[in-house]
Amino acid sequence: MNQADVTKLVSKLRIKVPDKHRRLRNIKGPEGRLDKLRKTVTGLIKYERIELNHHRADEARQYAERLISEAIMHGDCHKPTMDIADYWLLEKELIHKLFKVLAPRFENCNTAFTKMYKAPRVVPGRNIDKAIIELRGNPYPSLTNKQWNNRHLLQNVLLDAAKYEYRQAKYAEMAEKIGKNEDAQPKSDDSANSKPVANV
Amino acid sequence: MISRVHHLKNIIKNVEKNILQIFGLPPRELALAYTYEKRLPEPKKFSIKDIVGDGILLAVPKFRRTVEKRLKRKFGSPEYTWKMLVPKTNIIVCNSCGHYHERGHLCAHCYKKVEAETKEIQDKIQQKLGNQKPIENDVIVLYNGESLPDQPKEFWRGKRIIEMKKDRPQWFSKNLLEKTTQQPSESKDVKPTDLA
Repeated sequence: MNQADVTKLVSKLRIKVPDKHRRLRNIKGPEGRLDKLRKTVTGLIKYERIELNHHRADEARQYAERLISEAIMHGDCHKPTMDIADYWLLEKELIHKLFKVLAPRFENCNTAFTKMYKAPRVVPGRNIDKAIIELRGNPYPSLTNKQWNNRHLLQNVLLDAAKYEYRQAKYAEMAEKIGKNEDAQPKSDDSANSKPVANV
Repeated sequence: MISRVHHLKNIIKNVEKNILQIFGLPPRELALAYTYEKRLPEPKKFSIKDIVGDGILLAVPKFRRTVEKRLKRKFGSPEYTWKMLVPKTNIIVCNSCGHYHERGHLCAHCYKKVEAETKEIQDKIQQKLGNQKPIENDVIVLYNGESLPDQPKEFWRGKRIIEMKKDRPQWFSKNLLEKTTQQPSESKDVKPTDLA
């Protein structure tokens, strides 16, 4: 059987896309779900960083990634892609942003276009999972601190030097003790008397 | 079996009744005295109201609750709903600020300041560039006393620049001005002001 090549029909998104969509609760039903998601995707493209409930964020993320991926693949001269953008983005100036700003930004991107973080939970409060979803390359301060362990900061440099000195002193002490034991019992085996190195 | 006497008696009675009906009954004043047989009151039927009266009906348990049901109600079950307190073992220390947060979630203390700054920038962007013109360029955020990095002027033309009227926060690195998709700068020397 010759299986048709379906690998090129739709691009593979770099996020986890489950088989079934979430049936988000809405008064208007499935139509209302799509309306709500449209608003969310519009907001994400407009503000580039939004905080909202985890489930709706996850759904909107999938649609946003698909939208950006289509825009990159086909460009703005492709009618179906323009129709998709027209449907999903409620503010029409964002269609310009999608094709002129976001497509070039993410052209050579090897990772997902969005990033989702779990927001801190307000402890005396309702158990609602909030998430923060943002586009990569946004102009705001970063939510993660990758430099928390910067060895080149002055306090870390001084602390590392102090730790190093302490260890050297301890090693010298141990070496002295081993030397003394060897002198006292020259016949005994080294391994029996040597003490295990303590982790400093 | 009615005897013949009774039978005759009945016939006479009926005849009398019929005659009276035809000619109209005589006035009551002329009626003869007759025995008035008092009907005995019907024996009173038993009703629960005699015992209860006007009381209130209250629900009452019908059967004893078994110990299994009692324990299930009190403590729940792991497969269904666990009603006992469970300690949280997923609380860790933030490496940046030292406050506590749940593993996998952002640190509340760190996020608070980032959120505030983000909101300010977003408000500024909407204020300055929130008109309905089509968006064709990235936004670049500059703080007090900052100028654009060394790039040819053509590079910056058309870019949407937002100037925040405040000092750059200590924790917001300057290096974010450089985007990975932009052309790398060709200047060989590193100025002291450009260090993180």
